[in-house]
Amino acid sequence: MVSTFVEKLKAYSKPGYYDEFEYHWTMTIDLDRCTGCEACVVACQAENNLPIVGEKRYARNREIKWIRIERYWEGDYPDVKMGFIPILCQHCDDAPCETVCPVFATYHNRDGLNTQVYNRCIGTRSCAIYCPYEVRYFNWFTYTWDEPLEQQLNPDVSVREKGVMEKCTFCIQRIRIAKDNAKDDDKRRVRDGEVVPACVQSCPTEAMVFGDSNDPEAEVSKKMKNERGYKVLEELNTTPSVVYLKKAHA
Amino acid sequence: MSISVLDALRPAKKPVLLGLVAVLGLLVGVWVHGKYFSDRSPVQPIEFSHTVHATDNEIPCQHCHIYAATTPVAGVPSVSKCIGCHRSLPDTRETPEILKLNAYWENREPIPWIKVHDVADFVHFTHKRHIKADVECRECHGPVETMDRVTRVATMKMPWCVECHTEREVEHGRDCWTCHK
Amino acid sequence: MSKISRRDLLQYIGAGGIGAVGGVLYGESIERPVELLVPQVVPPEDFSPGIATWYNTVCNQCSAGCGISVRIREGKAKKIEGNPVHPVSQGRLCARGQSGLNALYNPDRIRAPLTNAGQRGTGSFHPIDWDEALTTIGSRISRLKIEDDASRVRLLTGRVRGHLDELFAQFMDLLGSQHYQQYDFTNPSALLAANRISFGTEQLPYYDIKNADLLLSFGADYLGTWISPVHHGLAYGHMRQGRAARRGKTVQVEPRMSLSGAAADEWIAARPGTEGLLALGLAHVLVSDGHYSGSDRAEWSNALQAHSPSVVSAATDVPEDKILQLAREFASSKASLAIAGGATTAGTNAVASAVAVNALNQLAGNLGQPGGIIFNADQAFSTSPDAKPVGMQGILDLVAAMESGEVDVLLLHDSNPVFSLPDGVGFREAIDKVPLVVALSSFRDETTELADFVLPTNIYLESWGDDVPDPGVGFPVASISQPVVAKLYDTLSAGDIILSLARQIGGELPIQMSWGSMEEFVRERWRAEFDKRESDAAEQDFEEFWQAAIAAGVWGQPGATAGDQLVPSAASTIAAISDPVSEFAGSESEYPFVLHPFLTATFLDGRGANLPWLQELPDPMTSVVYGSWVELNPATADELGIEEGDVLEVVSTAGSVRVPALIFPAIRPGVVAMPVGQGHEAYGRYATDRGVNPIHIVAAQMDAEAGDLAWAATRVKIRNTGERMQVVKIGGVSRTLGRQILGPADGHA
Repeated sequence: MVSTFVEKLKAYSKPGYYDEFEYHWTMTIDLDRCTGCEACVVACQAENNLPIVGEKRYARNREIKWIRIERYWEGDYPDVKMGFIPILCQHCDDAPCETVCPVFATYHNRDGLNTQVYNRCIGTRSCAIYCPYEVRYFNWFTYTWDEPLEQQLNPDVSVREKGVMEKCTFCIQRIRIAKDNAKDDDKRRVRDGEVVPACVQSCPTEAMVFGDSNDPEAEVSKKMKNERGYKVLEELNTTPSVVYLKKAHA
Repeated sequence: MSISVLDALRPAKKPVLLGLVAVLGLLVGVWVHGKYFSDRSPVQPIEFSHTVHATDNEIPCQHCHIYAATTPVAGVPSVSKCIGCHRSLPDTRETPEILKLNAYWENREPIPWIKVHDVADFVHFTHKRHIKADVECRECHGPVETMDRVTRVATMKMPWCVECHTEREVEHGRDCWTCHK
Repeated sequence: MSKISRRDLLQYIGAGGIGAVGGVLYGESIERPVELLVPQVVPPEDFSPGIATWYNTVCNQCSAGCGISVRIREGKAKKIEGNPVHPVSQGRLCARGQSGLNALYNPDRIRAPLTNAGQRGTGSFHPIDWDEALTTIGSRISRLKIEDDASRVRLLTGRVRGHLDELFAQFMDLLGSQHYQQYDFTNPSALLAANRISFGTEQLPYYDIKNADLLLSFGADYLGTWISPVHHGLAYGHMRQGRAARRGKTVQVEPRMSLSGAAADEWIAARPGTEGLLALGLAHVLVSDGHYSGSDRAEWSNALQAHSPSVVSAATDVPEDKILQLAREFASSKASLAIAGGATTAGTNAVASAVAVNALNQLAGNLGQPGGIIFNADQAFSTSPDAKPVGMQGILDLVAAMESGEVDVLLLHDSNPVFSLPDGVGFREAIDKVPLVVALSSFRDETTELADFVLPTNIYLESWGDDVPDPGVGFPVASISQPVVAKLYDTLSAGDIILSLARQIGGELPIQMSWGSMEEFVRERWRAEFDKRESDAAEQDFEEFWQAAIAAGVWGQPGATAGDQLVPSAASTIAAISDPVSEFAGSESEYPFVLHPFLTATFLDGRGANLPWLQELPDPMTSVVYGSWVELNPATADELGIEEGDVLEVVSTAGSVRVPALIFPAIRPGVVAMPVGQGHEAYGRYATDRGVNPIHIVAAQMDAEAGDLAWAATRVKIRNTGERMQVVKIGGVSRTLGRQILGPADGHA
C-alpha cells in the first residue's frame, strides 16, 4: 500500500500529471489565413452561452470572450502593418493555472484538455493571474438575457453564475458527443474531423484546424510540423496545445 | 499553581457549548429536512401506478420509456402512447384516472408530470450510455415496479454517482468533465 | 460531571432547537425548484429528445446569400453554421451570419400588427388585428385600382432576389403600378454600371480570388464587407496557403486600412478619390512597357496617353517607382486580378474608377480565366425581366413623387432609407405627404417608425423563400429558404402578407396570384423550373427532387459553366476611359479633411446594430465596442493636440456630429474615418441612441452614371469640443514591444 501511495505521489508530482494522453487535442491556427474577421468569436459566444456583458462592464475590462482577436501594429505610417492573432485557452500541458487553484477546480485531464469545473471554483481568481495568455475570465456578476434571447442557450453547456472562472473548453460538449457516438459505433476511436469546435467550424478562411495530435494521420498533426509553426510565449515553457503558423511573406 | 483546561475555559464554557449544540442542531435539521421534508414522492397529476403496469401487467420498462436506450433523455411516454392502450381496454375506460387521461388527450394537452429524478442543469447525464453499460433501471430508480407512486430512493447527489463510477471502474468515470458540462 | 441546572438545560434545548429549525430552513432554501417532466402529446416522426436536428436554409444578414445549417433542439434554434454543401458558404460563416439567432430571439421584435391611429412619427403604436389591418389597407388600394389610379401605389423594398422578387413584381404589375423599386446601401451600383459598360452585362461576375496570384484591390474590403465576405474568405485562405509552393500576393489601395488592407502584403494609401487614376496609370505602363500585346494596342495606348506614371504619381501621391513596380508585377504574375469597391466606387467618379479597374483586368487578359473574372452562366432562374432601380436615384425619384403628391400608398419592406441616406435627400419630409404608409418589418427602425400600419414580418429563419446568390459561383445555383422553427409571434412572412393583400384587394389579383401561401408559391415556381429542365435531367419525380432540394437547402449544376466564356471586346472599355476625378463637397481650405465612412464587419450599413452579440463584438481593426469613433492619423492628432477620447465635432456642408477621437496608425493624414452602423434613433434597445451615423453628414451627391450615393465625396473640418468620453475597447497594448507574439523574429521587415 505504501509503494502504490509513493508511486501515485511520484506520478502526481510530475508536471502535467499524465505522460500519455488518450487523445491529445491540439489546434493549429494559420496566421497567413487569419483575417481577423471575428467569426470565431461570435461562433464561440453562440455555442458556449457566453453572456452579454454590456457597455458599462465592458468599459471596466470585464469582458468575457473565450476567444479574442488581438491586434498588433508594426511600424508607422505609411509603412505600417497590422497583425491579427486569435488567442484562446492554450490548454497548456504545463499549465500555470492548474498549479495554483486551491480547490482543484482546474486540472489537466487524460485528453490533454485543461478543464474548468464551475462547481468546484470558489473564485479566488488566482488562475487568471497566473495565466500568461490572459484567457481566463471571471463572472463578476450573474448575467441575464433579455427575454427571449435565453431561448438560444445551448443545453449542452452550463450557464455560469457569479463567482466562477470560465474559459475556452475546446468545445468539450462536442468532444463528448463525438466520443459518445464513437463508443456506440463498436467502441472505436474518434476519427479525424469528427470533432470540430465552434470557432474552427465557422472560420471562413479555414485558418483553424483541430484534432488529435496522437493520431499521426490527422490533419492537425501534419499542420503542426509546418516550418512556420511556433507557440506563443514559448519561452515560458507552458507547453501549449495550440500551434500558430506565422504569417508568411510575399 | 496549575489550572486545568476545563477550569480555564469555564468562563467561556457556556456560550461555546451553546454554540456547539446549535451547530449540531443545524446539522440534524439539514438531515431531517433531507429525509422527511424533501419531496421524494410528489403527488402526480394522474395517479399512475407502476405496480399495476409493470408488475401486474408485466410491461417492460422500455416499452413505454422508448427513448431510454437511444437518447440522452429517457423521458416519459407521450400522451398518445398511454391513450394507445387505454382506449382499447374496456374495463379501465371509466375509472377517474383514465377520465383525466382522456381529458388531456381531448385537449391535446401534455400531462404535467412532476419530475422525481432530477439531475442538476450543470450535469451531463445520458440514459443511453448507462443502459448500454448494462446498468439496470432499478439500480438507480429502485424497485419502481412495486411503487404505486414513484418515489426517489437515491440521493441523486454527486457522491452517489461517483460511488458507482468508482466501483464499476468506469473509463474516465472520475474525470470532472465527464459529467460536469 | 457537574449537575446541569434546569435553566441551563432549557437553554441547551433551545439552542439545539433553533439550530434544527435553521437547518431545516437552510435545507429548504437550497432545495431545487420543482421541475416538470412534460411529454410529447404526439411525438413527431424524426423526434429524439436530447438530440439535435439540423435544417438548411439561407442567411439574410447581407446580400451574399450564404447557405446555412441551423441546429434545432426541442424546437428552438441553438446555433447557425454554414451549410457544408452550399457553394457560397461551404460550411463556413461570418460573424453577422452567426448572429442571426439574435435577430430571431430579439426582445424588440414586433410581435403583432400595429397602427398609430393618425399619430405618425410619434412612436405611439397600438396593436391591431391582422384582419382589420389588411382590410383597411386592401380596401384603400383596391379603391385606387378601381379608379385606375393604382400607379399611386408604390413599393419600396430592400435588396430582394429569388421568387419573392417575382411575387412583388407580379403584385405591382397586376395592380397596374410600375413603381416597384429596391434600395440597399450596400448595392454595388457603380460596379454594375461599369460592368454594363465594359462587359455588356449588369450582373456581377465571379471574381476568382481563389486562383489568383496577385490580387489588386482598389478599396474593396473583400474580406470584411464587400459583396460576399465568407466566400472571399474561403478563396483568400486557399489563395494564400491552399496551393503547394504557390502563395498569392495581395495589394490594397485605400486611404484607410480596412480588414482586407490589414491582410494585404502591401497597403498603398493613395490620395482619396484618385484610385481610379492609379489604375489607369498602371494600365498605361502595361501598354507602354509592352506587356500587353493585343491587336487593339494602339487604341489602348491612345486612350491611356495622358496617364503616364509621372502625371499619375503627382495626382495620387503614390511614388512613381511604386507605380512601375506594381504594374510590372501585375503584368508578370501568372494570374492577376483587380477589383474595386469601398470608397473607390463611392465617389462622384465611381463608375469611371470601376471602368479603369475593368481595363486592368482586360489588359491582364484574365477574363474567363482561372484567377480572373469569370462570367456567370445563366442564372438558375430569373425572376423579373426588368431591371429595377436599386440606388439613390430611385429614392430621389420616389421623394420627388411623394413631394408632388403623386403617391397615395407607400408600401415599405426591409429598407431603411431614413437611416442610410443623408438627410438632404428629404425622405422623412416627403413621406409626410403620403396619406397611407405601410411597413412590412420585423423591427421598429427609423423608416418603420414613420408608418401608419406596421405589418410584422417573419425573420428569415421562420420563412419560406428562395434565392439566387449574386455574384454567382460560376455555375447555376439556387438556394431554398425554409422555416427552421415555428414562428414565434403573430407575424407573417412578407410573401404571405402580399398574398393576403392580393386576396383583400380582389379582382384579378387573387385569381392570378392564387397561391395559398409563400410555401405553395415557391414550390410551384420550382415545379415550373423543374418541368422546364426535365428533358435534361433523368426521370425523376418532382416530389423526390423537391424533398432533396429542401433537405440540402440548395440546388446547383456544377458542370454547367458558361461554356465558351465569351470574352467581351475591350472597345467599350477603351471608349469609356475618362479622367476619374472625384469632386468633394466642401472646399479644401474650409474643410481640410476628407471624410471616409466605412462599412463595418459588425453592422455593415447599420442593419446589425440591434443585435447584442454584434454590439459587443470588438471592431476588428480598433477593438471598439458599443459606440462610434473618428479615426485620425497620429501625426495629425499630434499637430492638433488631440488625444484618444477627446470629443470632436465633425462638420461638413451637410451637418455635424460629435464623436470621440481614436488615433489610428494606418490612415492618411488629411483623411478622417468613421464607421457606419451606429447612430440609430430607433431600432430596439441595443441600437437606439448609441453612437453617431456619419451618413447624416455626407453630402447628398451622386455618381450620375451609377445612380447611387457618392458617400466618399464629402470634406469635413474638425473641432475639439474640449469634452472627453471613454472609447470602450479591449484593454492592452497594441504593439508587440519585442514579444514574439506574432512569431519568432526572422530578419524580414
